[in-house]
Parts: sequence; C-alpha cells; structure tokens
Amino acid sequence: MSGAANPVEPLCPCEGEDPDKVAQFEQHIAEGVHIEPGDWMPEAYRMGMIGMAEHHANSEIIGALPEGEWITRAPSLRRKLALTAKVQDEVGHGQMLYRVSQELGKSRDDMLRDLITGKTKYHNCFNYPAPTWGDIAMIQWLIDGAAIMNQKTLAEGAYGPYVRTMNRINMEEAFHFKSGEDMVLTLMSGTKGQKRMTQEAFDRWWSISLMFFGPHDKPNAEQRPAMKWRMKVEKNDSLRQRFVDRFAPAAKDLGLIINVCQKDDSGLVTSAREDELCVLDDTTGNWGFTDPDWDEFFRVIRGNGPCNAHRLSLRRFSYEQGEWVRRAVANGAVSSPPAA
Amino acid sequence: MYDFDRDLPEGKPDDAHWAIYTRKKEGGPARWAGYLDAVDVPLALQYAREHYGQDEACTGILIHRHEALTDSEYGIDPIAGGDACGDDGEAWIVFTQRRRGMIHIEAGSVHAPDADTAVSRARSAFADGHISNIRVVRDVDCHQTSPDELAIWRDHDMSYKLARGYSKNVRAKWAQFRNKTDFDQYAREDIKDHY
Repeated sequence: MSGAANPVEPLCPCEGEDPDKVAQFEQHIAEGVHIEPGDWMPEAYRMGMIGMAEHHANSEIIGALPEGEWITRAPSLRRKLALTAKVQDEVGHGQMLYRVSQELGKSRDDMLRDLITGKTKYHNCFNYPAPTWGDIAMIQWLIDGAAIMNQKTLAEGAYGPYVRTMNRINMEEAFHFKSGEDMVLTLMSGTKGQKRMTQEAFDRWWSISLMFFGPHDKPNAEQRPAMKWRMKVEKNDSLRQRFVDRFAPAAKDLGLIINVCQKDDSGLVTSAREDELCVLDDTTGNWGFTDPDWDEFFRVIRGNGPCNAHRLSLRRFSYEQGEWVRRAVANGAVSSPPAA
Repeated sequence: MYDFDRDLPEGKPDDAHWAIYTRKKEGGPARWAGYLDAVDVPLALQYAREHYGQDEACTGILIHRHEALTDSEYGIDPIAGGDACGDDGEAWIVFTQRRRGMIHIEAGSVHAPDADTAVSRARSAFADGHISNIRVVRDVDCHQTSPDELAIWRDHDMSYKLARGYSKNVRAKWAQFRNKTDFDQYAREDIKDHY
C-alpha cells in the first residue's frame, strides 16, 4: 500500500570503504546493473536498504489496520470479499518486505519490536482515522493510487530483491486501486447522502495524499546517496506533481470539490475552502495545488497524530497475544526440526 | 499517551526462511513469487497457500528452504555455459534468471551427485547465452502442493481480487462522467495499470 519515500541518508556514506570497490559499485549502478544480495555493497547502502524495506514493511502491516476495521461493515458481499483479500495482500507485502531486510542482516523479530517501541516508523498516512466507508474508498483510490505511482518508480531501482518484490506488489496494488476507483465511482453515482459522505472523506484524504510523497526534496537530491545509488529514482516533488496531474482532474470530473481544510486533533475537518490554485496551467500542462500543512506532517511523524497511539497499541496487543503461539510453534520445531 | 517504554515479551530468533514459487497454469514452470518464514514444511506450505496461492491465478506451489539452494555467480554479462554432462546421482531442480533483478523461473532438472556438479551440468544444459544466474535445489528438498489443493482458481469466480475484474465496470462508469476525448485518454492510460 505504501512507498518508503525517504530512505535514511548517511552524511559520509563511504567513509572507511575500499575506494576501488565503491567506484565499481557506483559504476554498475550508473550502467543500470542490478545489485544482488551476494554482491559487495557499501555498508551505508546495506543499512539504507534495510531501513527502506523495513519502513515499507511496517507501513504495510500498520496500513492494514484502518481497513481491517471495516471488513465486518462492508456494504456488500463482493466488497467484503475484496476488502478481506486486500487486507491479506497488505500483510503479505509486509512479509515479503521484512524478508528483504532480513536477508541484509536484521531479524524480523527485531523489526516488529522496533516498530512497537517507536524506534522505527511507518507511513504517516496511517495515523489518520477512517470514520466512514467513504474513507475506505479514498484510501484505495488516492493512497493506493499514490502508492502505485511511487512503487512503479521504486521498481526501477537498483536492488534486485526489492525490485522483484515491488513488481509483485504492484500487480496486487493494481487490484486495490481499481477496486477503490470502482467504489468512488459507485458512490458518486449514488444518492445525495453518498455523494456528501464521499466529499467529506475526500476532504480528509486529499492533503494526506499530497503529503504521501514526503517533504520537499533537499537541494541536489540527485547527488545524494538515495538517488545516486538508485534506492529511489524519482524526486518527491515530481511524484507529487504527477499525482495531482492525474487525480485533480479526475476528482473534478466526478463532481468532487478540491478543498483546503483545517483539521482538529482527531483528524476531522473543521473548515474547508475551495483550493483556488487547483487549476490547469496551460503553459506547463500541470495542475496547481496548495501545499499541505508541513507543520502538521512533522507533528504527526513525531507521534502526535490522531491515531498513532491507537495503531501502535493494537500492534503491541497482537504481538503480546501471539507470544504463546510463537513459543508453542518454536518448541514444536525443536522436537521435529525441518529438513535442511 | 502510548507507552513506548513498557517491556515487551521475550523475542525469538527467526524461523527458517523459505523461497516460494507459483505455477500460473497446470504443467507450466514454477515462477518465483516471494519469501516466507516458517518452522517446518507443513506450516510453510500452509502459509504459502494463504499468501501466494490466492493473489493471482495459481494452480500449484513449490517451496524450498533458502539454505537448500546452490547457485552460480550472478553475471553482469550472460554467464558461460560448459560441457559438463552425466546422469549419475540424484535429481536437482534447476531455476534460471534471465537478467539481474529479474525473478527465477523453473527451467528443468539435471542429475548430479553433489551441488557443485549439479550447477556445472545445469550450466551446460541451460546457459544459452541469455541468463545471469543458475540455481539448483535437490528435488527431495522441494515441496509441492498436490494438484487439487488449489482448485479454487478453477472452480470459483476470483475476479474480485484482480484489477481486470473491475476494469470493464470502471470504464463504463467513467463514460458517464467524462467527455469522449478525456475518456479515450483515460482508457489508454488505464491499460498500463492493467496487469
């Protein structure tokens, strides 16, 4: 569901490394050669990829929580089947992405524990509430739409195992996005009440979608390790512009109004005014938009969003409740070891 | 506020790592699908059915422990073939990768008394100047689902979990909201997301 928009960027990425090996590594990347797990790589690259895949995996399993809450309340059997399948997909993506980091040297249990104790983060957008079925439609249309855009570029990165995982995940994200598009179209073809619910959900999720791609790029983003080493291949701001160019006209065609909103501490909208900047610029071909509230973005990342505590306590609950299962399974394995 | 410092129950070491491959069509090659962690074969097969048997058309699953594989170098250029041959020893399943970054796909099998010989013989048989890596796994270390276990894709309508299960409907709905030029533009871009 989510992309790791900003891998950790070390300041002196190759201090103490063999310069010849670094040069060859960078030459391979510049030539478009994929890095495979057995290859030599700078320590900063290994740590960067661990962090990037781990953040992405955390986002998948936390992202499943707001949608999981709606499985029992889905409005039809087909929607319930689709939502169940989607939530399962997201947890499966977490499984695959944790494995990418495991292979680079961090154990899965350490990653699950670091998530619960706040040492590592997950994508900011899951710290917001999903109070109506319209929010579920918006998560699948806007957030998964943003995720596909981001992940298609991540699939052009250099690290083989992450690229393979992205390609597999994108295939499933395409289903999530199409199903979300179908839900939004259905709601906007419906009753006045359904249209109002959809507009209100859109107001909650538009600015979150703009934040999805991460803060504005630092100067010389292309020369920094994350892009130079093709951990990511596109800048946050260009992805954000591409998202607006696709979704702003789509929202307007549907009859949705693109608003700039104020929110309270629980993530609900308190006031809204139409975004006057959101028009097509004929000379550039791009759609304008009002920048989201970056103070809010950093406040939520630091743990003070509407749902941070709720999401993490549910994750902790499931880790603690699962302890006896893990112990029972592990003990079982001791008595009958798997064939090597 | 959420208490980050509260103690957690004791952790545990990782389970065994498994590589998962799926067959889209009956009799077709097993294609790399992903990974999972599990303590033993039955649990690994069960998790694989849950996580990889339902995501796309899947008629069979093959799994092996990550440690069970032996592979050649990952070539920057296509790897060299060879002239090692022989049919003594046990059976090994051979997987090949066309280019770095791509998935491994089942290519066939060889017989060999040990892993290194299996890689050499697999090179002779399958390195056709267009592959970057060869992987061999002893046949006895590969575990597969039986043919009827994944009948779900034959006997049920699973279109709700595929993008193409929605595309026609979604396009018909967009036609009500958009003029012809915009709709045609949408339809062209839609194909790219189709999978």
